[in-house]
Amino acid sequence: MNDLSCEDVLMAQMAEGDGQETREQLAAHIARCANCQRDLKQLQTLDHLLRGHTFSESNLDLWPAVEKGIAKPTRSALGWRPFALIGLLLLVHKLLEMLPARDPGMTFKLVPLIIVALLFVFIKENPFRINTELVLER
Amino acid sequence: MEDAEAIKRCQQGDREVFRHLVDRYQKRAVAHATAILFNRSDAEDAVQEAFVDAFKAIRTFDTSRTFYQWFYVLLRNRCYKMTARRRPTESLDAALLLASQPGMSAETTLGLEKALHSLTCEEREIVCLKYFDGLSYDELATHLQIPRGTVMSRLFNARRRLQRKLSGTLVPEQEV
Repeated sequence: MNDLSCEDVLMAQMAEGDGQETREQLAAHIARCANCQRDLKQLQTLDHLLRGHTFSESNLDLWPAVEKGIAKPTRSALGWRPFALIGLLLLVHKLLEMLPARDPGMTFKLVPLIIVALLFVFIKENPFRINTELVLER
Repeated sequence: MEDAEAIKRCQQGDREVFRHLVDRYQKRAVAHATAILFNRSDAEDAVQEAFVDAFKAIRTFDTSRTFYQWFYVLLRNRCYKMTARRRPTESLDAALLLASQPGMSAETTLGLEKALHSLTCEEREIVCLKYFDGLSYDELATHLQIPRGTVMSRLFNARRRLQRKLSGTLVPEQEV
């Protein structure tokens, strides 16, 4: 059984104990491999030990905290209307700016900046905040 | 009330009915989060945040899966975010996280807890799902969204590390 490593044999042997399919040559390898016999015995003892435990139950009721969390308005709850209104305001501003023979002055040019600043205040977001939260999709 | 009915009503904006889902799955979720985080308080925080995430995303619920399968993805993400933020020194709960069956001493249980704590989050997660939830290899593959071969190797590596960690104390060396 030289084609199998000890790791392969032990992995497959433990899988057999978990109800997975078996390979016939495993038994022959184990019968003549002292390392496997010793390690398998230890792994089976570990298996027995793990089966004898479970997590102790938590009696905490999470609903009050969850209820508080879901009661907060979400960003999507703002709807699209405020954003459409801001878009319309910016469009009107641009059209006014494009009127020929008209110098609206510096204050008029600052209007879009003020609108965008108000938008961030409205949605309660800091545009300069660095997002440090990693999204680990495993 | 069936989960499907509760989910449908949540999608229509009924917040109160979400309680049904929280009540039904919170214990299981805390156990799973504890498996990853190995800290009861952090686990409860992660579960609470994951339930809030679930309610906010309930309109995107994938009807081809059960609620808990769908929720588990959100819960895992919350837990792994938490482990990324956590400092390495923050560790084991003072209280016992594991409950043993009769015949196992508290010392044995504590030794096993310490050994489990030395595993990576992913290894600990798969060991706990296998032993404490009794999932099969195929169920583990579905649950963790990994191939069956990865289930086998990850589980084996986790057992190997546990075996080595415990070999001097809990798993007696056998004579060769």
